Amino acid sequence: MSSLLECKNLSKSFGPVRALDKINLSIGRGRIVGLLGPNASGKSTFIKICNDLLTPTEGEIFINGHKPGIETKKIVSYLPDKNYLNDWMKVSDIIDFFSDFYQDFNKDKAYDMLSRLGITANQRLKTMSKGTKEKVQLILVMSREAQLYLLDEPIGGVDPAARDYILDTIIRNYNENATIIISTHLIADIEKILDDVIFIREGQIVLSKTVDDIREETGKSVDSLFREVFKC
Amino acid sequence: MLAKLMKYEIKATARIFLPMYAVLLVFAIINRLLNPFHTFETQGTFNLQVLLGALSTVLYFILIIAVFVIALVISIQRFYKNLLGDEGYLMFTLPVKPWQHIISKLLTAVMWYILNGVLVIISGFILISIPEIDFSMIIDTVKTMAMNMNFAAILILILVQLAAGTLMIYDAIALGHLFQKHRLLASFGMYCALYMAQQLLLSILILSFSFSWFQFIIRSTDPTPTQLNKFLIFIIIPGIIMGIVHFIVTNYIMNRKLNLE
Repeated sequence: MSSLLECKNLSKSFGPVRALDKINLSIGRGRIVGLLGPNASGKSTFIKICNDLLTPTEGEIFINGHKPGIETKKIVSYLPDKNYLNDWMKVSDIIDFFSDFYQDFNKDKAYDMLSRLGITANQRLKTMSKGTKEKVQLILVMSREAQLYLLDEPIGGVDPAARDYILDTIIRNYNENATIIISTHLIADIEKILDDVIFIREGQIVLSKTVDDIREETGKSVDSLFREVFKC
Repeated sequence: MLAKLMKYEIKATARIFLPMYAVLLVFAIINRLLNPFHTFETQGTFNLQVLLGALSTVLYFILIIAVFVIALVISIQRFYKNLLGDEGYLMFTLPVKPWQHIISKLLTAVMWYILNGVLVIISGFILISIPEIDFSMIIDTVKTMAMNMNFAAILILILVQLAAGTLMIYDAIALGHLFQKHRLLASFGMYCALYMAQQLLLSILILSFSFSWFQFIIRSTDPTPTQLNKFLIFIIIPGIIMGIVHFIVTNYIMNRKLNLE
């Protein structure tokens, strides 16, 4: 089976700083991948390149055989680590916006998740707390029937109780052929849902393995292996 | 997709423009009712009525200027914030080409400028509906101007200048975005640089054509309508070229050099 995401020597520099350094990766379909690394290790940079928000300095990246562009945007659902929603819009306006632009957007799913989280659709974003806004964003992203989900720090800003719900939402709302890449440094919380892990440090991939292999070979959990590898 | 983008762009901007137009019309009606021009003519001394009339007139004209200033500020803010700020994370992950973003923003901005003009003219008509004052002179002047000049050419000139001016702002913001730091300041600097470059180019154009093709307008003391039309075309063409150049540069940067923070 051809891989969904493929990078060859992918590099990105910001002036003298090398944020990504010759990344080679191949990620298949139907996987939940943890992109794990300390702060400023290049996680967000990598995800932004996948979304065509940054242009690579060197190397190539292909998603479903295409370079990041209009074709990949149709099949990639992205949750940035920023609040990208207009404050003046109502939740229902944004749902209309998403279903207008993304053919794979499932409106019913979105309204269903909203009601389960107790968010009213005609509430304006201005009146919402930061955590609620993050939940709305995650609902929008997970309501797409995409092939690749790129979630940048999806649980960073919410309380532990909501974390469980969010992870639950993530697992429940993706089909077997889709792949999810989750970038985070909160490993213990997401370890149980991961199939594969990629450790990244200073723009380089340190390790790329399945969770099962890690447990078999080292006898350690991903969390403790992470602490060992990234020991300061 | 372009139509959808424009739909949302108009939605996002209408919530500022429509209330503003309402205020403008209300002020025109207030001025019409207070009838300050009549007051100024009939009242010899300064009193409260004159003061109120003067205030409402001044406010009305400030409002007209404000409408255009706000339109300019919004066109800048929509491009900078919605495309290159945090909201850009959403806009640039839509399955839409960058040129469609630029054009949707541009068309919406120009549309509001035109509506601004229409609304100001309407509010002006409300004002001059005052029966006591004779505005036939103004109407006559406009009529003679209309006969001497090609209105279509003037309208095209205004549209081209508005579009080219807006695209130059976009270009400056996109160029400023290429910097790693102080992007807003860099955008402002880029605007100054582009403006100077454009003025320089125009001066060179005028100088180099002033002795040949362009000479008729300098020589004639009372230009004929045909000569005026020729002159209008002469200034429309560089505007179109500038607009196209700014569009191409902006589009290139958004396609190849996009670096959202």
